[in-house]
Amino acid sequence: MSSGNKHPYPLLITMGAIVGLAAVSFLKPVVSAGNYTLRPLDIFADLRTPAPVTETVTDTALLAAADTARKADSLHRAPLPPRDYLTYPGILDYGYTTGPSGAGMHHFVEALRQLRTGSRKKVRIAYFGDSMIEGDLITQDLRDSLQAYFGGEGVGFVPATSVVSGFRTTITHSFSPNWTDYHFKNSPPAGVELGISGHAFMPAPESWVRFQPVKRQRLDEFGEVSLLYGKGAGQVKINDQPAELHGNGNLNAYSFLADSATRSLTFKFAGEQKVPLYGVCFESGNGIFLDNFSFRGISGIELGKLSSDMWKQVQSVRPYDLIVLHYGANVLFMPENTRFDWYERPMEKVVDSLRRYFPQSSFLIVGTADKSYRKNGKYVTAPGVKALLKVQHQFAEENGMAYWNLYSAMGGDGAMARWVEGEQALANKDYTHFNFRGASKVGALLYKAIMDEFRQEAM
Amino acid sequence: MSLDNLTSLLLYNDKSPILFNSGFFLFFLAAFLLCYQLVRNSERGRVAVFSFFSLYFFYLACGSYVMLVIIAAIVDFYLSNRIHRETKDSVRKGLLWFSVIINIGLLFYFKYTNFFINCINDLAGGNIHPIQVLLPIGISFYTFENLSYTIDVYRREIKPVDKFMDYLFFLSFFPKLMMGPIVRAADFIPQIRRPYVLSKEDVGKGMFLIMNGLFKKVVISDFIYQHFVQYIFDDPARHTGIECLLGVYGYAMVIYCDFSGYSDMAIGIARWTGFVIPPNFDKPYQSSSITEFWRRWHISLSSWLRDYVYIPLGGNRKGKFRQYVNLMLTMLVGGFWHGASWNFIFWGGVHGGALAVDKLWAGWQKKREWLRATPLRAGLWKIGGVLFTFHLVCFCWIFFKSETFAGAWELLGQVTGNFQGHLLSEVLAGYPEVFMLMGLGYLLHFLPSKWDEKLSLGFSNLHWAGAAAVMVLFIWMLNEVKTQEPMMPIYLQF
Repeated sequence: MSSGNKHPYPLLITMGAIVGLAAVSFLKPVVSAGNYTLRPLDIFADLRTPAPVTETVTDTALLAAADTARKADSLHRAPLPPRDYLTYPGILDYGYTTGPSGAGMHHFVEALRQLRTGSRKKVRIAYFGDSMIEGDLITQDLRDSLQAYFGGEGVGFVPATSVVSGFRTTITHSFSPNWTDYHFKNSPPAGVELGISGHAFMPAPESWVRFQPVKRQRLDEFGEVSLLYGKGAGQVKINDQPAELHGNGNLNAYSFLADSATRSLTFKFAGEQKVPLYGVCFESGNGIFLDNFSFRGISGIELGKLSSDMWKQVQSVRPYDLIVLHYGANVLFMPENTRFDWYERPMEKVVDSLRRYFPQSSFLIVGTADKSYRKNGKYVTAPGVKALLKVQHQFAEENGMAYWNLYSAMGGDGAMARWVEGEQALANKDYTHFNFRGASKVGALLYKAIMDEFRQEAM
Repeated sequence: MSLDNLTSLLLYNDKSPILFNSGFFLFFLAAFLLCYQLVRNSERGRVAVFSFFSLYFFYLACGSYVMLVIIAAIVDFYLSNRIHRETKDSVRKGLLWFSVIINIGLLFYFKYTNFFINCINDLAGGNIHPIQVLLPIGISFYTFENLSYTIDVYRREIKPVDKFMDYLFFLSFFPKLMMGPIVRAADFIPQIRRPYVLSKEDVGKGMFLIMNGLFKKVVISDFIYQHFVQYIFDDPARHTGIECLLGVYGYAMVIYCDFSGYSDMAIGIARWTGFVIPPNFDKPYQSSSITEFWRRWHISLSSWLRDYVYIPLGGNRKGKFRQYVNLMLTMLVGGFWHGASWNFIFWGGVHGGALAVDKLWAGWQKKREWLRATPLRAGLWKIGGVLFTFHLVCFCWIFFKSETFAGAWELLGQVTGNFQGHLLSEVLAGYPEVFMLMGLGYLLHFLPSKWDEKLSLGFSNLHWAGAAAVMVLFIWMLNEVKTQEPMMPIYLQF
């Protein structure tokens, strides 16, 4: 560049850049290195009228309940009006398709009714899920509302150690660092059987775990306490009182009644013996109880890794009236993928075997929450969501279970983006997970859906 | 292409206010430079064109709030002239206070009303409803510019401008309108009189600063924030201590690149239009003490606080203890200036406390020459200082960034109580691009300044067509980074 006054340069450089970029926008040169191709550039994007987004509907509206109506057992309720599983925000019950002993909501609702009339002492829910329910999210609100209505106190199952213990607000939970945690994602040695939470915890000498109640209604004192453990014999000191563990079955419970003045329970293990520990359950004598079984990063098919003996023992040691399967976030790791063959078959097997292990229980499949991803600069519902909902709905329909579409209950298309970007954020910026507030809202939505079923059956 | 879209682009849209890094700004800049060229030989013409485009820019950024800047300019232009003419001290003081109250009053109304309403509600159990106002963009900056100008006139350090348009031009100058730097009238206004002459160094330096700013903002700051840092701060409890710590290191880079990148662009554009604005950041993480950090971080703010808060409070002229109190008060004001929340006040408080301790510490060191007696000792001492200062600043960033104290403590709790350092390689492998760019950001930060000079000299020697070609390739690369599909967070199974 020569010297002198260069005042036109900024204008020339800017104009030159615009001309050059316009050329790139119009000519659309394909620049690639290896497998990597540069994205198209369009400096006039703001000026163009965007082409209408064509939504590929993965399925024509399936009138689920019309089917239900056809097969409805006249002993039970009148056929439902036709409902589309993709848009209906309540629970769709396919239990009637398989007769009165179906796996729909009937057994559970009946159990609730008996609890209300006093002809039954306890009703239990096992709520399985991934990181969406980690730290008792969603389940704490659902549990609290159900207990407020049907009675019962206590947080239910708490694993011996947990990565989110600091995050859980329904119990104060601390533990020594020397536990060995075998779980779905590492390889437990032969002889160590995973519990239904997907973990088995092996104590080392002097391993301990401590629980303290929190200052919240229905969670502020301990009542009936059960220590769940596997095969083997060993010793534990509970607040320095020795107790013997003799586990003959795959799942055993050491239960006792805690004094209501107990502010803290410490379980200390000698660790010389190889007894796998699963967790501790907290309940009261009467009411409804909900166990949260969260496992980060799984799709649900991992439940198939548990032995049939373990499942069968659960029903004698700790029977459940309702089993909730709430998965999906980890199935949608590729937002634009709409094929779930890899998931469908193994999960179908899991659902089918659970159905056989728990012939008397109710089952509720929770359809995935909305999940958004960024497309053309905006967060939109991932195409995979509806495709997955269809698969999940199929699990419920084919096995005569109940189905609740969380995506639709949240508000359907684009709901997650609204939940994240609203005045008060209800979900995290990963456009996948709810925060405390959002989880509360989901808990309330599910509670309402369950109560609608309860009231409907009672009519 | 449609006319409707064009019209909507030219009007204010609260969903997408104008930014330097938006595509539209390139067209805005071209239109402005074209008009500016046409009137380049007339001082009044330049002032008129620049003011018009600045006010239009302001309108695109925050709609009808553009009136605020005009009102502020009218009030302060008039008051400063009155103060200048007035001889009676009491009247001058009264006018000064009047200006201060109006400026601070407007700032408080828009920025702090809800904060105080919430405080009253919390303390007195009141039930006052928060007001529904949007924060006018740039109000924190031009309020401080107004204040310094009126105070300087009151102190008889400068003569007020006699043409209203000059003052409006200074206040609304679009390059620094949104994110600073806070420009002093005394430095800026004399430059209006100078003819529009650019040397090749001016062109090269301006281009370097604009590109450097865009690179910092789009490639480093936005990228690592969107693909990693935001996930960590959004929900620290879902992440291990090692991820949280890396998230904090990431945020230190994000806030620096975001803020200084914007400043660089502002200074670069100003340079292209014939105005020299002093640098606002000077590689702050190279500081080996917190005092040095505040000489390198947001220089226009720290020097403003020094001249208009710290020195009027008495500075260091009233004894050691008062000096520490003054430092603390100044930094509390600085913290509060950043935003209406206790987190910012706490952030300012920790910095104020650290500055006071640093003064004591510096005194203690001075008496112990042997600490730096050999080059090795001096080097180690410096490295230790840099590491310590950086971590202290990072600690403060946690409070600056977290929306609530609870969130900040949660993050610190993860770092101290759930560190899981063995997962480092897994975390790095989970977000490879993020950590590469973070590394690059820190590497560039610690490079000597002469590298920047070399690059800017390289641009100076380019023909305009060559420079335009460089710009095309550069913006093409930005587009590539900007349109990356978001990387979703990885929740480690640990």
